[in-house]
Amino acid sequence: MNKKSKLTFYLFSLFSAVLVVEIAYLSSSKSMTTDTKEKKVLFVSLTGLPDLAFSSNSSYIRHRSLSMASDIYSLDGCLREYDSATYAIANSKIASKN
Amino acid sequence: MSSKINIHLIEYALGSILRQGYKSLFITIVFTLLTALLTSIFFITNSIKHELNTTVDALPQIIVQNTKASRIAEIDINATDKLLEIAGVHSANARVWGYYYFQNAGVNFTLIGIDEFEEQYSSTLDGIIKKGELDNSGMFIGAGVREIMNASYYKDYFNFIKADGTIKKVMIKGVFDSDIELESNDMIVMSKETLREIFGIEESKATDIVVKVANIEEIETVALKVEQMFPNARVITNDDMKLSYENIFNYKSGIFLALFVIAIFTFFIIIYDKMSGLSSEQKREVGILKAIGWRVEDVLKEKFYESLILSLFAYMLGVILALAYVYIFNAPLLRDIFIGYSDLKPAFEISFILDFQTLFLVFFLSVPIYVAATIIPSWKVATLEADDVIR
Repeated sequence: MNKKSKLTFYLFSLFSAVLVVEIAYLSSSKSMTTDTKEKKVLFVSLTGLPDLAFSSNSSYIRHRSLSMASDIYSLDGCLREYDSATYAIANSKIASKN
Repeated sequence: MSSKINIHLIEYALGSILRQGYKSLFITIVFTLLTALLTSIFFITNSIKHELNTTVDALPQIIVQNTKASRIAEIDINATDKLLEIAGVHSANARVWGYYYFQNAGVNFTLIGIDEFEEQYSSTLDGIIKKGELDNSGMFIGAGVREIMNASYYKDYFNFIKADGTIKKVMIKGVFDSDIELESNDMIVMSKETLREIFGIEESKATDIVVKVANIEEIETVALKVEQMFPNARVITNDDMKLSYENIFNYKSGIFLALFVIAIFTFFIIIYDKMSGLSSEQKREVGILKAIGWRVEDVLKEKFYESLILSLFAYMLGVILALAYVYIFNAPLLRDIFIGYSDLKPAFEISFILDFQTLFLVFFLSVPIYVAATIIPSWKVATLEADDVIR
């Protein structure tokens, strides 16, 4: 083995070690513990409302994070359909006849 | 098998990578960034899916909402008695909840009313609240709500503007545990009585009704019966909600798909460049190697080692960077796709999931393709006569 091969071998070993250490660190500190999971389930069963606090586009999901002027549903607290044109006065079928 | 690995070929391959200098460096950088981007995208979506799937079974089995002129309207509390008459229904609870728009900060809070004296709620709240006890004059708030209120100098209480325009002062009794910030960030939980006062909802009305069915196999049948009983009601089952979660990811994944396509397209441009043939210098090198006695398979092996070292190096570095980017630095820039630009953002701290499927997917999308793109043009040149190639 020449110097370059050794260096490459050490580099790959270092990468593998970093990867293993990183995964071990993340598994121990950033993965969801049973306690946290229980808390989440408790909270969702208490409120009975779906959606994480940042999801903002789906049917039957409350839209917690909508708060900009352009968010047409921002003031209406309900579980709603996906299609944003649901409450338009003339639907597309009527419009297309004209 | 080990005898087939020729260390001298590997050494030559390393020398070749270093000789190409900037070209090798450029390919490594692009390859690493591509792998990091793709892996980050998959890590984020997997973690969020996991987060949602953790709680999806805790959602109500059936939600019944009243509609009026196709809009959601308050539902009569007496409907619970009728719902209880349906065979298979275990319980029916009227809920009071809604949004409160806090104009000062331009954000919506989600207000939930609970019966504070019910045993089940006390035990649940004990598990998720840092301190405090709920009564008619108090509320529990999410971490995001606390920040927004603090910014407007509401440290101990908050003045809600009631439906009739008057003020209702409610004391802050506690903050939800930071472990559930992704779920509780914009939430305020208070007694139903207080919430009714703020929203101006009469005692006989509720926002919706949650129905629990004894046998989960009967949810769809019960939902159908509810629809027949209340033809103008909107009946949402937990399966509808699960489908909606899929919907979220169809939408979000659409944005990700655009990123994915761009990344893959960039990668294939590089691949195309390599496939279109070797440079005259590389052809000359292959010709000389053949002239000094290298066989075709030796040339191919050397090219295989060269491309494998380069692509594996970039792949491993990309995965290391992606893990750090998503789970340690909480995915700056990419997280905005999910949390939007509202002031009421939750801390984007998603839980770590080691998904081997993702790692294999990205590996097979990148490394073998790159190796093939290196070997095929080399094979074309290596099969020619040495003097043809050199000339």
